[in-house]
Amino acid sequence: MPEVLKYTEQELVLLLKQRRQNAFSYLYDNYSGALYNIILAIVPDRDMASDVLQEVFVKIWRQCESYDSSKGRLFTWMMNIARNASIDMLRSKGYQKNQQNRELTENVYDSAGSTVTNTDKIGLRKVVHALKDDYKILVELSYFEGFTQDEISKMLNIPLGTVKTRLRNALLQLRELVKN
Amino acid sequence: MDTKAYIESGIVESYVLGLCSNEEAVELELLCDIYPEVKTAVDEFAVLIEKKAFENAVAPPAEMKQKLMMALAGEFTPETKDDKKEAVILPFQTSDANKVRQVSMWRYVAAASIILLVVSAALNFYYYNNYQSASSKYQALLVERNSLQANNDAFRTKLNGFEESMSVIKNPDVKMVTLGGVAGKENNLAAVYYNAKTKDVYFLQTRMDQIPSDKQYQLWAIVDGKPVDAGVIENCDGLCKLKNISNPQAFAITLEQKGGSPTPTLTAMYVLGKV
Repeated sequence: MPEVLKYTEQELVLLLKQRRQNAFSYLYDNYSGALYNIILAIVPDRDMASDVLQEVFVKIWRQCESYDSSKGRLFTWMMNIARNASIDMLRSKGYQKNQQNRELTENVYDSAGSTVTNTDKIGLRKVVHALKDDYKILVELSYFEGFTQDEISKMLNIPLGTVKTRLRNALLQLRELVKN
Repeated sequence: MDTKAYIESGIVESYVLGLCSNEEAVELELLCDIYPEVKTAVDEFAVLIEKKAFENAVAPPAEMKQKLMMALAGEFTPETKDDKKEAVILPFQTSDANKVRQVSMWRYVAAASIILLVVSAALNFYYYNNYQSASSKYQALLVERNSLQANNDAFRTKLNGFEESMSVIKNPDVKMVTLGGVAGKENNLAAVYYNAKTKDVYFLQTRMDQIPSDKQYQLWAIVDGKPVDAGVIENCDGLCKLKNISNPQAFAITLEQKGGSPTPTLTAMYVLGKV
């Protein structure tokens, strides 16, 4: 699709705040693929991920007043909305039911409840798989499943301080992996 | 502050991925304002993640954009032609314009309501007038109908009277007795119909002088040479049925006080006729 107009991020945000249809259309055309990727890494089911994406765009549209460009990039803000919506979906009853069915047929969960699915070939999750196991599980539980560090500490029976430092180290390593 | 150590603590990545606590986020945002290198580190990692996401972008289902545009259709500001330029240079005028548009829309709404009100009032007046005239016409028709009905009833009663009279006259047992005017009352004329079998006496007023309202004509039958009261004459249609009389030889009419007299006032006899 030929894009006649090119907006800078600032212009785009300004126009979004003015509730311009063009701006929303542009936003969708340019960011939906990347956001869908973020969502699919957390919600592998495409139909459900599509529902989340739709919800995310509505949220972005309705909450764009609250976006403050001085605090970070537009994509970072949208990515966090997408991640939160995805995790909400993971915790919804409909998703749980779906997963139970999947579990029966694929048996892709280990006893700790952490995800070691064979479907994670997507974006950041693929990179996370390259981490060593100690790190991987922390990133999985915190980023992809949305557990707090306190919850993870109890879940894995590791002191909170250790969870914190280990997760940060994991993220530093993740950064290097993404860079290369 | 050792910003290098801070940056290398993993807090930046944790912040960008949304994994740090609120306090940590507030602290980092504060440090970004003070130390540009912290801000740079945050932006660098954000760009990194962003690039990764764009590299791995997955096209969403084709119909989704359409769905979204429809779902949000009511929330878009109407577009102007030179959208991009205007929006960048005059960010606040648009919201003013918005207000103006809203105000003028209210004006249109108000004007439309007033016009509707006036039209409605005019129609009310017009229809009320119509209603009034129709209502008075209806009243007039009602009165006319009632009077026609009354006339009709009166005619019917009269007709019934005449029909009865006719049946009396047609009866072969009934004999007509013509009562001619006596001397001085020659212009008076009346008739009595007498049924010899049933002794019924009917009076037919044909042509009698007008009389004062305190007087009444009274019919007398002459039976065996003596006058017998046959009843006072009331106003009636056709024949007036009076008292039954046996074997009369003649009938006469006198003018008497209202209600009749026990004996005839012979000086006031008007008509007389033999059976």
